Amino acid sequence: MAAIPTLLPSHDFREALRRRGGEAASRCYQCATCSGVCELAPDEAPFPRRLMLWAQWGLADRLAADPAVWLCHQCNDCTVHCPRDAKPGDVVQVIRALVIEKLAFPGFLGRLVGAARSSWPLLVGLPIAFWVVLLAATGHLAVPAGLPQNWAFEQLVPHLLIYSVFFPAAGWAMLAAWVSGRRFWGLLTANSPGKGSFLAGLAPALGEVATHKRFGTCGAAKPREFGHLTLMWGFVGAAVTSGLLIVGIYIQHLAMPLALTHPYKILGNLSAVLLVIGAGVLVANRLGGGVKAGASTAFDTYFLTVVVLVITTGVLSEVARLSLTAEFALAVYIAHLGLVLCLFLTFPYSKFAHLLYRSLAMVHERGSQAQAPSA
Amino acid sequence: MTGQQPRPLVVVGAGIAGITAALEAAEAGREVVLVERDASVGGRVLRNHHYFPKLCPPSCGMEINTGRLERNPRVRVVTRARVTGCRESDGGYEVTIAHAPAWVNERCTACGACSSVCPAKVKDAFNLEMAEVPAVRLPHPNAWPKRFVLDRQACPEGCHACKDVCTYGAIDLDAEERTETVHAGAVVVATGWDPYPLERLPELGGGLSPDVIANVHMERMAAPAGPTGGKILRPSDQQPPKRVAFVQCAGSRDVNHLAYCSAVCCLASLKQAIYVKEQLPDALVTIYYIDRRTPGRNEEMLTRVAAMEGVRLVKGKVAKVEPRDGVLALRVEDVEGGRIVHAEADLVVLATGMVPSLGAGAGLFGLASDDDGFGVEKPGVAVAGVVHRPEDVAASVRDATGAAARACVAAGRRA
Repeated sequence: MAAIPTLLPSHDFREALRRRGGEAASRCYQCATCSGVCELAPDEAPFPRRLMLWAQWGLADRLAADPAVWLCHQCNDCTVHCPRDAKPGDVVQVIRALVIEKLAFPGFLGRLVGAARSSWPLLVGLPIAFWVVLLAATGHLAVPAGLPQNWAFEQLVPHLLIYSVFFPAAGWAMLAAWVSGRRFWGLLTANSPGKGSFLAGLAPALGEVATHKRFGTCGAAKPREFGHLTLMWGFVGAAVTSGLLIVGIYIQHLAMPLALTHPYKILGNLSAVLLVIGAGVLVANRLGGGVKAGASTAFDTYFLTVVVLVITTGVLSEVARLSLTAEFALAVYIAHLGLVLCLFLTFPYSKFAHLLYRSLAMVHERGSQAQAPSA
Repeated sequence: MTGQQPRPLVVVGAGIAGITAALEAAEAGREVVLVERDASVGGRVLRNHHYFPKLCPPSCGMEINTGRLERNPRVRVVTRARVTGCRESDGGYEVTIAHAPAWVNERCTACGACSSVCPAKVKDAFNLEMAEVPAVRLPHPNAWPKRFVLDRQACPEGCHACKDVCTYGAIDLDAEERTETVHAGAVVVATGWDPYPLERLPELGGGLSPDVIANVHMERMAAPAGPTGGKILRPSDQQPPKRVAFVQCAGSRDVNHLAYCSAVCCLASLKQAIYVKEQLPDALVTIYYIDRRTPGRNEEMLTRVAAMEGVRLVKGKVAKVEPRDGVLALRVEDVEGGRIVHAEADLVVLATGMVPSLGAGAGLFGLASDDDGFGVEKPGVAVAGVVHRPEDVAASVRDATGAAARACVAAGRRA
């Protein structure tokens, strides 16, 4: 005789869902219009209806283990057509935030970033303050005398200082992400034993991420698809530029600052342009997109704001170096370093973590398809 | 009231609710003026092939009612008339009734000579414009009063063929509108409903394919006096459908359309599934639903239909209907099966809801409406039938009986 399944409803989850902007879930009457209009829902495991039911019941464990939470790209076709105004798109968005918090390592940091509505001054202010203190302690809080006309930031903040902060920070973020990712992968594969080969799914999933193919399928999300794709490639370009600069400095022994016509510089500036355009489109969509853009919770707004500030201070630093005073450039640069540190340290806990979870969910899905006998 | 004749009731709308209210009040001793916009009484109910749960034609029940109307001298039925004004006066209401020009008068014997010579065709309003009829014709076979009606605006310039052929002098092409004023003790508003427009449901194929019809069209198709002579056919090619899909809650219980449940569509679709299976035993019928609402004894209908071979009930609201290569492609989550179904159908019947036709009544009688547009009663103006609340025929009759009682009380108090 089969075991009777036991449900473990979590009152805390329901309360958190309500508090974090998913209260409309209680209006859902399970008609399944949402699953029917969703262009991304797989035929054999449709969503978001079942996510709405589990959210109503507070089945946090099931939601955390369900790849559908991440396969949703919040195009909001469901919200537009929902006959009860239960806003499935927004509800699943809040579920994602709660899953990030649930799987976070260590948990208290997940809760801290989850409470961005009130904790944001700490999250943003602490890393900036850290840089101010560090630079003051090492004697770099002032612009050194006798700076040449064509100065480089290294002459204000030595590269070694930057490495000593960002390498450990990145290492920490990767460690925390790895722990959370393992937890998530374990939940995904526990539900479908023998399915979801990581290696089989990796290449097709990465291909999809690179092109945002799925985003393009989303009916209502066209403006966001362009903004998100542009922003993602801007970030990739910026990361590649950073890597190339290390090669340039230590292997090629290039003199800083690089000329504006240097290929690395061109790549960096091109990435900045992509970042500005992408972030601009996303912000405009949030501000003017109505129902289709979805509701903006504090958790969403926090992340987008940090991204926008990172881009703004980064671009402004370069502009200031080229055409404004070195004092002003240093101030902006310190803010930039603090914000990038904030982005790094909160990566596994903020909305940024969708990079981890959505990618894993897609790898799992594609890996399962690869193993299916007649996919 | 000392020896003085109490003032009459004015009942607006001669559908099942209005007829019932008029008869109940008249049989209780009241004078009643029953005002109907159309040329004959019976309203929406008569447009049904059968009504549930007994599955008999409504014309026989209506015959009993028109018989009661004929025998009761206290009811005066005025057809092709509209209430154009109503003002409170002396504890009652001064109701202005505009009578449309009597192009065909009471001398008509319904012989049909005029129809046979009439050169003009019009859309058949009784059959929901699914067919064409001569501009002068009997509104429908069970019309009461049994008198022809003429769509004067469809007459060709200078044509008087019908007048020439009529040997009874029943046609007067120069008739004019006239008005009368009735000093009423109280009013019953029973102006009924309209089907929710198909065109508002393009995601369900409404207005995009002739093979996507509403439940009200299915009633006319199944009726022997309907546009297809009672045959259920695909409108696009006049062929019997092999696969028929019923889409429940099409534009109902939906904040984007009608927020309420119309209370009849589940049973109407179950009933229509029986029509299909009786005519086309091999047809596959699928009813897609959110909930199966068959309260009380009506549940027997559900049990009966669910047991029929070739009938499936699938839990899940249809999200999309797309005309594709001559068939209709449906997309719906089968909730109990936990998967998306891509189904095909030859004929899709949208179970559209009922929109209360309070219309000008709200302004004329100073009635308020609730959030969904249904009329809210006030002292002296009772509301009955679907303009009052979504309800089936039996409930409309009960509602109308109550409305008649309330109107009688109000008129008695005021007289």
